[in-house]
Amino acid sequence: MSPPAPDHVHAKRRRFVARAAAAVRPFVALLVVVFVFFAIQWHRSGYTTDAHTLGAMVTVMDLRMVAIQTVIVGAAAIGMTLVIASGGLDLSVGSAVALCSVVAAVAVREGWPVWAAGAGAVLAGGACGLYNGLLITTLRLPPFIVTLGTLGLFRGVAKWMAGSVPVSAHPGWLGELVRPIPAPRWLVVAPGVWLMLGLALLMAGVIRRTVFGRHAIAIGSNESAARYAGINLAERKTLVYLAAGLFVGLAGVLQFGRLTQGDPTVAVGLELDVIAAVVIGGASLTGGKGSVLGSLVGAFMMAYMKNRCVRLGWPTFVQEMIVGHIIIAAVAVDMWRQRRAQAR
Amino acid sequence: MNVLFRRTGAAAVAAASLLTASCGSEEPEAAAPSGGGARGAPALRIAVVPKGTTHDFWKSVHAGAERAAQGYEGVEVTFTGPEREDDRAQQVALVENLISSRYDAIVIAPLDDQALVAPVRLATQAGIPVVVIDSGLDAEVGKDYISFIATDNELGGRLAGDRMVERLGGQGRVLLLRYQEGSASTALREKGFVDAVAAAPGIELVDPGRYAGATRATAQEAAENLLGTYDQLDGVFCPNESSTFGMLLALRARGLAGNVTFIGFDASDGLVEALGAGEIDALVVQNPIKMGELGVKAAVEHIRGTTPEPRIDTGVMLVTRENMDTPAAEELIAPDFSSLGGP
Repeated sequence: MSPPAPDHVHAKRRRFVARAAAAVRPFVALLVVVFVFFAIQWHRSGYTTDAHTLGAMVTVMDLRMVAIQTVIVGAAAIGMTLVIASGGLDLSVGSAVALCSVVAAVAVREGWPVWAAGAGAVLAGGACGLYNGLLITTLRLPPFIVTLGTLGLFRGVAKWMAGSVPVSAHPGWLGELVRPIPAPRWLVVAPGVWLMLGLALLMAGVIRRTVFGRHAIAIGSNESAARYAGINLAERKTLVYLAAGLFVGLAGVLQFGRLTQGDPTVAVGLELDVIAAVVIGGASLTGGKGSVLGSLVGAFMMAYMKNRCVRLGWPTFVQEMIVGHIIIAAVAVDMWRQRRAQAR
Repeated sequence: MNVLFRRTGAAAVAAASLLTASCGSEEPEAAAPSGGGARGAPALRIAVVPKGTTHDFWKSVHAGAERAAQGYEGVEVTFTGPEREDDRAQQVALVENLISSRYDAIVIAPLDDQALVAPVRLATQAGIPVVVIDSGLDAEVGKDYISFIATDNELGGRLAGDRMVERLGGQGRVLLLRYQEGSASTALREKGFVDAVAAAPGIELVDPGRYAGATRATAQEAAENLLGTYDQLDGVFCPNESSTFGMLLALRARGLAGNVTFIGFDASDGLVEALGAGEIDALVVQNPIKMGELGVKAAVEHIRGTTPEPRIDTGVMLVTRENMDTPAAEELIAPDFSSLGGP
C-alpha cells in the first residue's frame, strides 16, 4: 500500500493525461477515417479474406501519393498553427503560395542557381508574412481584414510578376524534392515529405519550449493578460506572421517543384484547406491552442480522402462534402470536451 | 447501373458523413480488379480526365468515352476531373491518385503542356498507358504517352479567320479575346486565326493580347471591359466555349449581339441558340464525342497489344446559320448523350 499522493501530483498527472489525450485525438480521427474507407472497400469486395486482395486495398504507392499531396498544405499549416494559436488568422496563404512559386520560377528562369531561387522564394514568403504582421500591429486591424486585403494584393503581385501567365522553368533538384517516388527508394516517400516532418518537429519544439512560443500561446489565450504580463505584443505578433510567412514561402517553393512552373493562378482557396487542417488538428480558432503535428495529420487526412474517393470512383465533390462535416465534427467534439471539463 | 451506384454511394456518404460503412452498393462489386487474383474476364478500368467538369464540351467527351466502353466486353470508364479549368495542381494530384489506384489506362486532356508532364511520365513508368486528348503535352509520343488524339486546332482557327475575312470583305476592326495562356489547343486556334486574317491587310486586330480566363464569368468580365474600351468593332473571335459564351453575354448587354460578325469556337445549347438567332455568325465545332471515343479505343487497343496511331485528327467543321440543320452539323452541335444514362 503506497501512501496517498499529494494533491498537486494528482493535478499534474491529470494535466498530463489531458494533454496526451488532446495530442492523440487527431490521430484517432485519422484512424477512424482510414478504417471507414477500408470498411467500404472491404464491403465492396464482398468481405474477401484473400490476403492479396486485402493488401492491394491500401498500398505503398497510395501512401506516397497522399504524402506528396500533403506537403504544400502541410508546410503552410505549420506556420498557420503558430498564427492561429497566437489568436491570429491568415487568409492570404493561397495567394502568397502562388506569389512565392512565381518568385522561384522567375528566379530560375533568370539564371539563378536553384538553391538561391528557393531561398529567395522562402524569403519572399517571409516578406509577405512581415507585411501582414506590420499592418495588423501598426494599424491595429483584425487579422481577418488585413489578410483578406493582402489575399488580393499578393495574387495581384504574383500575376504582375509572372506577366499573368504561368512561368515555366526547370526546377532541378527542387523537382526531385517533391517527386512522388523518391530516387533512393529507401526514403519511401518524397524527400520533401521528410523535410516537412522535420520542420514540423522543429516548430512544435519552438511553440512548446521557447520563450517566443510561450508568448505566442499566451497572447492567443488572453491578449490583455499577456500585455499586463509585459509581453511586447506588437513585436511578438509581427514575428509570428513573419515566421509563418517563411513556411508559406516554403510551400510556394514546393508548389513550383510540383508543377515545374510558377503559376500565378494556383492555390486559390488553399488557405481554407490549411485552416481546416489546423482546426482538425486540434487548434482553437479563438487562440491559445494548436498542435503542429495535429495539423499535419489534418492535412494528411484530407489528402487521404481525396485519394480514396478516386480509388472508389467517387467524384471530387464527395470529398469536399465529407471534409466539411469532419471540420464541424472536430470542433464540436472539442467544444463538448471543454464544456464537460468546466462542468467538473 | 454503375453511375447510379456512384451517385447513391456519394449521397449516402454525404448524409451519413462517415458514420457507417454500410452505405454504397446493394450488391458487392465482385472482387474488383485485384491484380493477379481471379482469372476470367477482369474488367479494364479506364480513367478519363477532362480539363474541367463544368463545360458541355467535356460532357460530350464523356459520352464518347462511354460509347467506346460499351463497344467492348468488360471495359469500365471512370470520368473524373478538376472542377476549375485552371486548377493544374488538382489535375496533377488526380493523376497521381489514379496511378496509385492502379487504373489500367488514363485518357487525359492536360490542363497545361508543362505541368502535367511529370505525372504523365510517372503513370507511364508505373506501367499505366496514357492517351492524351484535346490539348498537347510537351513530352514524347510513343515514349511518355501512346497517342495524341485531338482537333487540328490551327486549321480550326484558320477556318474562323477565313470566314471573318470573307464576311467583312477584307476590311474592318476585329477583336480577338484569347482563352488562357498555357492552354496549347486554344493558342493554336488563336494562331490560325491571326495568320488567316493577316492575309487581309484591311483587317486590324484590336488589342489582341487579352485573355478571357478559365470560366464563363471571367470571360464575361474581360469581354465587358474590352467592349467598354473599344467601340466601332466589326468582328469578334473567341477560341473556346467559355470565352465565346462570356463574350456573347457581354455583346448582348451592350446591344451589339447581331451587329458585329461574331465567330466562336465549340458548341453548347446557349451558343447554338444564339447561332440560330443570328447573334453568332459562325461556330467552329470540334468533335469531342469522337475524341472521347477514340481516346478510350486507343487505350484498349494498346492494352490488347496493337499500337494506335501516334496522332489522330478528329476533325473540325464551320457551322453557320445556313448549314446548322444539316445532319453533319447536327451531330456535332446537338450531340447524343444517351450513352451516359441518367438525366
